[in-house]
Amino acid sequence: MLFHRPETLENAIGIMQAGPVRPLAGGTDLYPGLRDGPPPAALIDLSRIAGLRGITREDGGWRIGATTTWTDIVRADLPALFDGLRAAAREVGSVQIQNAGTVAGNICNASPAADGVPALLTLDAEVSLAGPGGSRRLPLGDFITGVRRTALGEGEIVTALHVPDAPGGRGAFVKLGARRYLVISIAMVSAVVIPAQDGTIGEARIAVGACSAVARRLPGLEAALAGCAPEGIATVVAAADLSALTPIDDVRGSAGYRLDAVREILGRVIVAALGREG
Amino acid sequence: MKITSPKVSRRSLLRGSAAAAAASLAHARQVSAQNAPEESAFEAWIDLRLTVNGQAHALTVEPRVTLLDALRERMQLTGTKKGCNRGECGACTVLMDGRRVNSCLVLAASAEGRKITTIEGLADGDTPHPVQRAFAEADAFQCGFCTSGQIMSAMACIEEGHTGSPEEIREWMSGNLCRCSAYPQITAAVAAAAEELG
Repeated sequence: MLFHRPETLENAIGIMQAGPVRPLAGGTDLYPGLRDGPPPAALIDLSRIAGLRGITREDGGWRIGATTTWTDIVRADLPALFDGLRAAAREVGSVQIQNAGTVAGNICNASPAADGVPALLTLDAEVSLAGPGGSRRLPLGDFITGVRRTALGEGEIVTALHVPDAPGGRGAFVKLGARRYLVISIAMVSAVVIPAQDGTIGEARIAVGACSAVARRLPGLEAALAGCAPEGIATVVAAADLSALTPIDDVRGSAGYRLDAVREILGRVIVAALGREG
Repeated sequence: MKITSPKVSRRSLLRGSAAAAAASLAHARQVSAQNAPEESAFEAWIDLRLTVNGQAHALTVEPRVTLLDALRERMQLTGTKKGCNRGECGACTVLMDGRRVNSCLVLAASAEGRKITTIEGLADGDTPHPVQRAFAEADAFQCGFCTSGQIMSAMACIEEGHTGSPEEIREWMSGNLCRCSAYPQITAAVAAAAEELG
């Protein structure tokens, strides 16, 4: 096995271009997956590239570097818009996993149960990629294309995520698991609510994870929630069309249980994102 | 193991095959990529210098060797335990630059240049660290297999300041499983040590 440890993005892209090589960041998903088979021909450790890590303010929003860890997110001074992402960061694996695992690793691994994805979808996150052909940027919803499948082209790596400002917005997130840590999600809901002046919901963004091949937004429910008063949320959620979700039956729960759970936590998350006690 | 990078010369490829065939005879080698001067590419075996408990250790390992295996098998630091070997139990917890990580999920090669602290690095000679003493005094273990991981996690938990209440301790210690279920005693030990270290 060949092991690369570049310290600059240019070198990393050069190595990626030169031949098949498996990117390694925190290693928390990659390494357990390698236990039972032969190692890949080549690994590239991206964790030493300084410019890839950290959260910075940029024009119109925030930039989250690819190798920013979940602990970095938990400790960052971020507005309430990020409360959902921060809550998700606290439930990725365990503190030990959060200290190593990275945001870009979570989206590149593209598990249907990736804890970070619903919150990032409600933040309207975009993904920056760099590769031999230059750089490009696309919405997170277009980046993850299926179970463990992404839009990453040959030789491309994720360099950052971008989150646009949403003044007044507040996020919330709930993960249902057999216990709170070290478990794979049964269902997850994340929301961002931007309240209107009169206390009703101005704009709602809702995403559900672990109930379809890729976590997804619920545009129908988002539209129904616009203009909704806090006391009307329960009725809207009860009537919500969840047919876009395609949960599976597995050892963690049945499809029916997952749908029931989603409807329950939808109500709690939306109320929490509006800043009311659930 | 197949070597696929075109940056590797045929000669080094052959040497790589020889290394795989006769591991005991293999020599550490660093291959510098021609058109990437700052890059470090390693093939088959790597010379590493790891700083563990303040001591520098020189070792030669395959790139796929985890920090956990390097500690246990190469440095004879067997206080760090291998439980699940997939990041689910916390028995292998060590501190890397002060933060707790599962050493089974870190490659030894990725740990180079970082400050590693293991259970062996806590005591001052024969005097146990206050966290170790608190675990003994609170009877915070039964079989003891998870204990070194619990103590390393407790070190970080206390340092992070997540010891305000038993509930907070339980939440921030939840990355460490104890099959004997000594959780109440572990929580008490962390609380006592946090108070002492204040």
